[in-house]
Amino acid sequence: MASLEEIREQITRITSELIKSGLCDHQNYPSIIEKPGKHKEIVFDTKADLSTVLKNQGYKELYEALLKNKAYNFLMVDGAIIQLMYSFHKGDILGHRLAFFPCPNLLEYQNIPEIYENDEVSADIISEKIVTFPIRFDFDNSEEKFISIDHPKSHLTLGEYRNCRIPVSAPLTPFYFMDFILRSFYDTRDQKFSSQIPPFSHSFSKSISNSETEVVHLQIPSP
Amino acid sequence: MAEIIWGSTPKPVSSQQLASFFDEKGDSIDGFLYIGYPLIGTPEGRFRIDATLVSPTYGVVLFNLVEGRDIEDYEDEQDETYNRIVAKFRNHKTLTKGRKLIIEPWVVTFAPAAQFSPDPTGDYPITNTKTLDSFFDSLPDIDPKVYEPTLSVVQSISTIRKGKRKRNLKDPNSRGSTLKFLEDSIANLDNQQGHAVIETVDDVQRIRGLAGSGKTIVLALKAAYLHAQNPDWKIAVTFHTRALKGQFHQLINTFVIEQTNEEPDWKNIEIINAWGAPGGQDRDGIYYRFCQRNGLEFYDYTSAKRSFGRGYEFEGACEEALTQVTDPQPEYDAILVDEAQDFAPAFLRICYESLGETKRLVYAYDELQSLSEKSLPPPEEVFGYNSEGEPRVRFTEPEPGKPKQDIILEKCYRNSRPVLTTAHALGFGIYREPDSRTGTGLIQMFDHRELWLDVGYEVLDGALEDGSRVLLGRTENSSPAFLEDHSPKNDLIQFHCFHDKDEQASWLSQEIQKNLNEEELQFDDIIIINPDPLTTRKEVGPVRETLFNNGINSHLAGVDTSPDVFFEPDGESLAFTGIYRAKGNEAGMVYIMNAQDCYSSFGNLARVRNRLFSAITRSKAWVRVLGVGENMEKLIEEFNEVRGKKFNLDFTYPTEEQREHLNIVNRDMSTEEKQRLEKGTKDLSKLLDDIEAGNLFLSDLPEEQIARLKTLLGGKE
Repeated sequence: MASLEEIREQITRITSELIKSGLCDHQNYPSIIEKPGKHKEIVFDTKADLSTVLKNQGYKELYEALLKNKAYNFLMVDGAIIQLMYSFHKGDILGHRLAFFPCPNLLEYQNIPEIYENDEVSADIISEKIVTFPIRFDFDNSEEKFISIDHPKSHLTLGEYRNCRIPVSAPLTPFYFMDFILRSFYDTRDQKFSSQIPPFSHSFSKSISNSETEVVHLQIPSP
Repeated sequence: MAEIIWGSTPKPVSSQQLASFFDEKGDSIDGFLYIGYPLIGTPEGRFRIDATLVSPTYGVVLFNLVEGRDIEDYEDEQDETYNRIVAKFRNHKTLTKGRKLIIEPWVVTFAPAAQFSPDPTGDYPITNTKTLDSFFDSLPDIDPKVYEPTLSVVQSISTIRKGKRKRNLKDPNSRGSTLKFLEDSIANLDNQQGHAVIETVDDVQRIRGLAGSGKTIVLALKAAYLHAQNPDWKIAVTFHTRALKGQFHQLINTFVIEQTNEEPDWKNIEIINAWGAPGGQDRDGIYYRFCQRNGLEFYDYTSAKRSFGRGYEFEGACEEALTQVTDPQPEYDAILVDEAQDFAPAFLRICYESLGETKRLVYAYDELQSLSEKSLPPPEEVFGYNSEGEPRVRFTEPEPGKPKQDIILEKCYRNSRPVLTTAHALGFGIYREPDSRTGTGLIQMFDHRELWLDVGYEVLDGALEDGSRVLLGRTENSSPAFLEDHSPKNDLIQFHCFHDKDEQASWLSQEIQKNLNEEELQFDDIIIINPDPLTTRKEVGPVRETLFNNGINSHLAGVDTSPDVFFEPDGESLAFTGIYRAKGNEAGMVYIMNAQDCYSSFGNLARVRNRLFSAITRSKAWVRVLGVGENMEKLIEEFNEVRGKKFNLDFTYPTEEQREHLNIVNRDMSTEEKQRLEKGTKDLSKLLDDIEAGNLFLSDLPEEQIARLKTLLGGKE
């Protein structure tokens, strides 16, 4: 079972590798906050009050608020924002919120890498309508919220569809989440960023219910 | 002699007579006479002062001008003028001591055409051309120390310079303290800047100046002044580097509030991108709007690249729009363009066509900072000719009493003399190893020799003539001594060559940590520039990683996502940047990494040297030029030469023929041209090899081709 410190260490190492690869334009250090009752959170270092920027907004407004407040771990080369947040209680994982927010008015890196590689000044002069949607992996270990299939403990939400909760077999470590993001949205035929991140062997225990395995679900690799 | 600066005034005749009075006085009155300036923000809106003299001998004298014969209520008007200026002055700590103003402004009515019995020395002085002299004779001398701060307040510069965050300084000799001293020292506009800000022509106006001569601040103040004077005008300020947007916004905001007591009306004054795209106000642009307004096809970056080719995207899009448009609809009353050297003439024409009948287009540029190596042609060529074959824009010779149409800012307030002359020496290739094809190391040269003098050089030896040896140096006047006296000479600019890039990275990281931890520099006092845009992302990665692992956060100025800000506003992150986004920005300490890339480049020599020039001139105080390998060593040799010549430029001025040859040899080649040249070289060498090896005989070749070859080669000999 991955511990709080191990997770933070993973995030720090991944940040460092992302900077080196040139994929990340700005980043925040991960930091640990102690909450009342032996409850600890790993969040990104930011001065912003996040509660104000999370709910009830259009995607463009949400994205801009996150950007302005630097509420992220990584600001990627194509303007995408990535957040990694974990909470632990007495050494056990309580929850996570891993989010990918692509930029609503820039072209996706994978589709046009050269304009980012070549530092084109006018790369943001775009008239195409860009269809972007956020991707979130949420995990909540509390029994109150859990409803098998309808609200799996670990689930993937695509876009901001209210009831889109695709069951996931277990909580994700930062490595598996970032591997997924890089592999799906940044790797190109010639350049595999995902292979530049050194693998980590930590994992979390399975959280999926039996009935959830009978619908379409995602399987987290177990090392 | 008082420098007269012409703002706009509803009282032209009396203003002209006042100006003539000062002209005739010659050297007996020093300082600045502003006509139609300043505006003062009051609770009732803007209040315009007819004319203001700020002088080191007389202090501040405000003129109420009477244009006609009616002098009724002139006492009341004097009271109002006095109260307004006193209220303005009292807002500035630099002008008060305890509860008192340290300077007493005088108000005088000047009524050249009215009939009255002049009273030049009473409580309410009123004068005409004959009696103004006795008014001045009656004034007491002022404490010369109050002159500078007063001028700064009248020019509204004092509030603008305050924008920067407070420094927390403990060591008076640290780099941080040095920077503070430098920032405080540049408190006033010089007379050329003053002209450029306030003088407006109802026509095209050009402002040229070196890097660091204050073009951006001048344009921002000018835009604000136009807006304060004419709140109904629709004014646009546009630029090439979007990193400038935040800076413009802040400058204009501050200056407009100072003059009107109100926020600018951002509906009428727009800080707008040049290109632009659909998607709301933030993304708007001059070209995009032009297409919208005139119903033309809009090209975005990708479609422009497809249609016009790499490097010609925006130029092609603008030219296409100009070709398609039949009856261009005006939208603006005034447009101000910064960094015009980075635009093709077609964009300036788009601006020109976006204005109504009065073509108030102001464009500022620096010919040496062109990153594309295409300098702007003269205005006749830029704006083309009318149906009678006359140039649509032609600059008139300056006349006294008329605003200047062509302004050169010769003083450089950002770079010290050693830094600026090094940048020029490397940019022009003054001390470069001679090229066998041209017989000189020079890469490019001004066609007009006088431009050297215009930009603040003087001839120290030899002659500024075609084919003559000349020694050029900057004067104390054009490169003030305080910019270099703050640090030892060898600390101002240094070149370092490393064995490899790892060594460069670790040196850089250590120096930056020293800057931040020991030398009281702040994050936004430092920029790290990688001059080659194609490698920036890969090259800065490892350095940023090293810094990150040492607890120092950094960012790479990348694609503008939304808020057009170059430095991190909360200042906890170091700015790395490629050359394009470095433009228009400045910092105390500038690191240039991988400068070896700027030593030479096949088919792009002038371009890579211009990049180095632009990078070096970002520095307000110190520059470190870093690189690896043989080319870096050669660059260092060039630097040693310019240092050995005490930072003067010693060279033989090329003749016209040589200059033309330079332009051809060092021209910017497109990829196709390069490929054609490579192929040509290969084919030729194959032909020669075949002939030499006896596989082919010259006599096999068609006679006509041999004859053509002979002619070509004969011409060269």
